[in-house]
Amino acid sequence: MNPETNSLKKVKALAGAELSVGARLGYVALLLVAAAMTTVMVSLWFTEPSLPIRTQAAFGVMTLIGVGWCALAVWALRARRPLFARDRVIAGGMAVTFTSLFAAAGLAAVIVAGSPAAYGTFATGLLMLSIAISVFIGARRRFAALMAKRAALELALVRLVP
Amino acid sequence: MSTPIPPNELRADELLAIRCQLGERAAFADLIKRWHRPLWRYLRRLAANDEVADDLVQDTWLRVIRGIAGLRDAARVRPWLFGIARRVAMDRLRALYAHPHDDDSRIEEIAAPVDELELESDLAALEAGLASLPVREREALALFYLRELTIEEMSVLLGVPAGTVKSRLFRARELLRREFRKPGVIA
Repeated sequence: MNPETNSLKKVKALAGAELSVGARLGYVALLLVAAAMTTVMVSLWFTEPSLPIRTQAAFGVMTLIGVGWCALAVWALRARRPLFARDRVIAGGMAVTFTSLFAAAGLAAVIVAGSPAAYGTFATGLLMLSIAISVFIGARRRFAALMAKRAALELALVRLVP
Repeated sequence: MSTPIPPNELRADELLAIRCQLGERAAFADLIKRWHRPLWRYLRRLAANDEVADDLVQDTWLRVIRGIAGLRDAARVRPWLFGIARRVAMDRLRALYAHPHDDDSRIEEIAAPVDELELESDLAALEAGLASLPVREREALALFYLRELTIEEMSVLLGVPAGTVKSRLFRARELLRREFRKPGVIA
C-alpha cells in the first residue's frame, strides 16, 4: 500500500478517537459535580463551629480531593479534549442547568434548616450560576460569530464559482 | 516559481477551519483529506523514512485537533498547519540531540542521509539531492516547491524575514544544482 494512504488511514482512526463528544462532555460533567461537592464540603467545614481536629482534617482531605478532580477536568478540557464552539454551547447549557439546581437546593436548605452552611451553599450556588450564565452567553456569542463567518464564506465561494 | 494561491482555495481553507472550530466532525475528515498528503510530504522531506514521517504526521494531526479551537485567525490555517508540523519535527530533533549517547542512529532517522539512497532514477536522484541539503534549506524547498506556501506565509511560519526565506531558497537551489552536477547523479 502507498505509504501516504496507509498513514491517512491511521490518522483517520486517531481523529475518530480524539473527537469523541462523550469524552468532552464527560469532563464538563466531572467538573460541575466536583465543584458542587467541593462547595458543599467547604461550606460545612467553615460554618460548623468547634469541629474536632479529626473532622476538620477529614473535611480538608475531602476538599483537596474535590479540588484535585476539578483540576484534572480543567486540565483535560484545556490540553487533551478542548471544547469546540458547539460543545461549549452544550457545556454552557449543562452548567446553567446544574448550577440552577444546585442553587435551588441551597435555597431549600436555607428555608428548611436556615443553618450557616445552608446560607454558604446557597451563596456559592448563586455565584456559580452567575459564572455559568456568563460562560453560556460567551459560548453562544462565539458560536453565532463563527456561524455568521461561515455563511459569509459560503456565499463568497458560491459567487466565485464560474 | 510557485503560482499564487487562488482566492477561492484560500476561502475554502478558511471555511474548513471555521467548520472545525464549530465542532463539525465531518469538517475534520475534510481537513485531513485536504491536508494530509502535503503535510506528510513535507515531513517526509524532513525525515529519512516513511515510518518516521508517519509518526511525525500523526503527532501533527493530534496537535491540530487539540489546537484548532484556539486558532485566532482561520484565514491563516495553511501556515498554522505547517507551523505545527515544523514544531513537531523540531521537537523530535531536539529530543534526539538532547540524548545523543542513547542512540545516535535515531538522529540519522530524522536528518536524512544521502549516501544510503540508491539512485535508480531521476526522481530518486531528486529525492536524494533534497535529502543531502541542510535541514533549513531542505525545509525551504519542500515548503515552496510543494506549492503550498507563499514566501510571505513561509516568513511567518519560519519566523524570519521574507529576504531570509528568499536567500535560503537561493542557497538551496545552488546546493541542489551542485549536487546534480556531480558525475553520475542524473542518469
